[in-house]
Amino acid sequence: MTLPSERTLPRLFLILLLAVLALAGWQWRDGAPLSANLMELVPGTAPDALELRAEQRMQEPLNREMLVLVGHKDRQQAVAMAQKLGEQWQASGLFEKVQWTLQADLPALRTQLLQGRLAMLSATDRQQLIEHPDAFIQQRVQALFDPFTGFSLVPSQDDWLGLTGRIQNSQPQHGSVQLDIGSGALVADADGKSWVLLRARTTGNAFDMNLPLQVADLLKHSREEAAQSDVQLLAASGLLYAAAGQQQATREMTWVGGGATVGILLLLLLAFRRWRVLLAFVPVLVGMLFGAVACVALFGHMHVMTLVLGSSLIGVAVDYPLHYLSKSWSLKPWHSWPALRLTLPGLTLSLITSCIGYLALAWTPFPALTQIAVFSTAGLLGAYLSAVCLLPALLKGADLRPAQWPLRVSEYLLDRREALLRIARTPVLLALLIAFCVGGLLQLDSKNDIRQWVGAPQQLTDEAQTIARITGYQPTSQFFLVRAANQQALLERQTALSERLDQLVNLDKLQGYLSLNQLVSQPHEQHKVREALNKLPQFWQPLLDVGVPLEALKTELATLQALPVEDIDSALAGPLAEPWRTLWLGPTEDGVAAMVSLQGLNNPALLRVQARDLPGVELVDRLGELNNVFAQTQISAAELKLASCVLIVLVLILPFGLGGALRIVSLPLLAALCSLASLGWLGHPLTLFSLFGLLLVTAISVDYAILMREQVGGASVSLLGTLLAALTTWLSFGLLAVSSTPAVSNFGLSVSLGLAFSFLLAPWAGRQVHATSVAESAA
Amino acid sequence: MIFCLRRSPVGAGLSDRRTAAMVVNDNAGHLTPRGALRLFASKLAPAVLCVLLSIPGLANAFDLQQLSDQLAKPDVIHGNFIQEKHLRALPQPLTSKGAFVLAKNHGLLWLLKTPLQQDYRITAKGIARRDANGWQTLPGKSAGAEQNRLFLAVLQGDSSGLQRDFELSLSGEAQNWKLTLTPRSLLLKQVFNQINITGGELVHSIELLETQGDSTLLRMQDSTSGQPLSDAEQHDFAE
Repeated sequence: MTLPSERTLPRLFLILLLAVLALAGWQWRDGAPLSANLMELVPGTAPDALELRAEQRMQEPLNREMLVLVGHKDRQQAVAMAQKLGEQWQASGLFEKVQWTLQADLPALRTQLLQGRLAMLSATDRQQLIEHPDAFIQQRVQALFDPFTGFSLVPSQDDWLGLTGRIQNSQPQHGSVQLDIGSGALVADADGKSWVLLRARTTGNAFDMNLPLQVADLLKHSREEAAQSDVQLLAASGLLYAAAGQQQATREMTWVGGGATVGILLLLLLAFRRWRVLLAFVPVLVGMLFGAVACVALFGHMHVMTLVLGSSLIGVAVDYPLHYLSKSWSLKPWHSWPALRLTLPGLTLSLITSCIGYLALAWTPFPALTQIAVFSTAGLLGAYLSAVCLLPALLKGADLRPAQWPLRVSEYLLDRREALLRIARTPVLLALLIAFCVGGLLQLDSKNDIRQWVGAPQQLTDEAQTIARITGYQPTSQFFLVRAANQQALLERQTALSERLDQLVNLDKLQGYLSLNQLVSQPHEQHKVREALNKLPQFWQPLLDVGVPLEALKTELATLQALPVEDIDSALAGPLAEPWRTLWLGPTEDGVAAMVSLQGLNNPALLRVQARDLPGVELVDRLGELNNVFAQTQISAAELKLASCVLIVLVLILPFGLGGALRIVSLPLLAALCSLASLGWLGHPLTLFSLFGLLLVTAISVDYAILMREQVGGASVSLLGTLLAALTTWLSFGLLAVSSTPAVSNFGLSVSLGLAFSFLLAPWAGRQVHATSVAESAA
Repeated sequence: MIFCLRRSPVGAGLSDRRTAAMVVNDNAGHLTPRGALRLFASKLAPAVLCVLLSIPGLANAFDLQQLSDQLAKPDVIHGNFIQEKHLRALPQPLTSKGAFVLAKNHGLLWLLKTPLQQDYRITAKGIARRDANGWQTLPGKSAGAEQNRLFLAVLQGDSSGLQRDFELSLSGEAQNWKLTLTPRSLLLKQVFNQINITGGELVHSIELLETQGDSTLLRMQDSTSGQPLSDAEQHDFAE
């Protein structure tokens, strides 16, 4: 008795499957469309285009550069090793540039210094020249005879007034890295060792899938090689974090995916004792395929985090075949198509509620969760379709004789429940449960931090900190964005900001900062210097006294007067401007903009205050903003959860009526509440990710309530179905809890807890009136 | 998972604990000419100068070793100096005069007398200048700086310091010798052509030839090695 639909459905589905496979093949034509860029996953705080550009500019070196310290007690040996590694790395082809020596282009430096004599003079030197020209001249005379400071890059006869020397000396300098004159290496001394600075810039960035691993590998070899000569290497780079992240993701995917697969297959074999039942895994594979294809189609690529979290879909997808496979305990003999027809309404409801739950994730402002939602929804749809259209055909004629022990387990559990209910009625239990919840919730702390997304290995962080300590470079992630109508106004605003930052520096709250106004002064300041120079002949007698010819001084004055006013662009052209170059954002839609970068910040809260009342100055603190977004999202996530419940109630009213629907939905909500309380009791903080996990649990566990309420084949069979479904889901999500990324493990933990409670509470879903089985109805 | 935030692992756990991924944000990169420039400019010259005043233990050649031993003998040297700065644009050199005290275990006092008065001191702690309030260590010239490394290498008879940075060639005899230093590194070559030192029992003159065409000639006169440090001098070193 093969119905026509039993023939056409599998065929139609196979056609669809082939089409999706073809699409997948096309998507993967140039290698895996995977992405590892974390920034794609965190919520955009909707910064404007300029802010975004500024951030990218600040970020760029992180993702492309590696900083290595090569350390040995003997400086010579450290330098030699740095040189050797430098050559090896250069030859590796991974790097665009490897640098361990200082390549100073002295002629270019001289030119820039001479050209910038008016514009680059520091505020202090300007002030002295303008207010105390006599002291200015006196210092110059001293410098001419000083054997210790009298050396300047620019020969005296090109700069009798010594302006270039002053500019040289006023360049901001941070850190404790020194130039080793002989080798040209940059060296810092610490911990009884000399550390030579080696910098490498890669050809691609940290988000290329292969590069980070190659770089990490190269570093590993270099470390081993260096260790043989007793040389220690310390390295810091975004690339290394990317590599560690990738390795970790691969490892966890193997563990979670592999563990869940093995566990579920074992469970299937143990329960059904037929090899053919392993075909139940087909919907899982199809689901993964659909999810991946949908994800790439929608986002252009798939993030590795989506893959890790998505691999937990295995446990949910396998529930669909389980729905009708588990009927083999009550349906004897069991036939695939009739079993499917019997469970189809429940299956469909379950698909709809799960999808509602997953799609609720999509409305959070987290691109990560949007991807996971899309992946999972498409995956569930694929799994559902294959479970409904294909699998029954594959299982046709299978003679399922499931083991009887699972049924006995579930009967035993139901008996226990009966016994419990005889001791305490449901209201009493509910009261106890609520007491448990209240107690737990009172102990629940909330914690949200972007760092939860990062499972950075301790060793990497430690090394980075050591490097920061040795070199004294402590870049901060915050920076100021300054906008103005034109360059003059921009420099004015930066000067105002600098005054405030200088105070912080003086108070040791800030180590230093870089701002364009340190490099080039405002045009009107340049004019003032020029005017002050005009008055200098009255004061330069001491210079004449020591033998400087009057003619030379006059010529120099004329040259200085003729120097053009330098603007930001011309100032940035020279080699001295290198550190500032990234700060200049250039013309924007409504003027110009630049950044001010910071070093060694003690108190981020102080920064906000600095920008107050300064027009056009804005603190960009993406990390702080992200953490705020996290906290806010927590509230909207809770709202979403309620909204998704309302939606699910609406869907369920049709088959179960309002009362039934409310009951079915209230169970997962209560389970979520219990999980929250458990987190409190366990001393785990509530994070955004636990909340997302619970959001998901609601959707999944509505399933269990439906299964229990439908009671196709009796209470114990239904409970068994629920148990199997919960076990498989738990196998995949629970394994996430072992992830070393706090966010992922939080997610896994809360889903696991939620599943456990959902299973415990499921029998209270009541019994649909048409059912005639023996199950005790809930009170 | 993959995490390359633009946050600072360098800063992580430090001042503002950052997501552990921002590594090279990278003012280290900015070392390039600027940071080094200043150090280079103001520290190199004195370094070389100090080195030369006492010629280090030059270990590998017999002659150099002999010279090194000869110069390392006296504990304290007192003397006068004349410094002539020959600038291409000036018909006359800029000339200054003064006295110096070089003490083996302490350092160098450099007392400029004409045309202006200024006292300098170089010790293991760095370069200091005397003003109305006493000795002021010059900023950025703290212990551990390059010139001190060289300087100490010299005082302690460590030859590696000087020989690494310069080619040394010695001619003449014990009572009338000439030592020529040619820079090895590209960086130094952009600044100095050569440094010439002459002497007998003690150093007589040091000549610094810059690539730009200027030169500085230091002549040490009336150097004596018999006299111990006076109380005032000891006080100056101790302070």
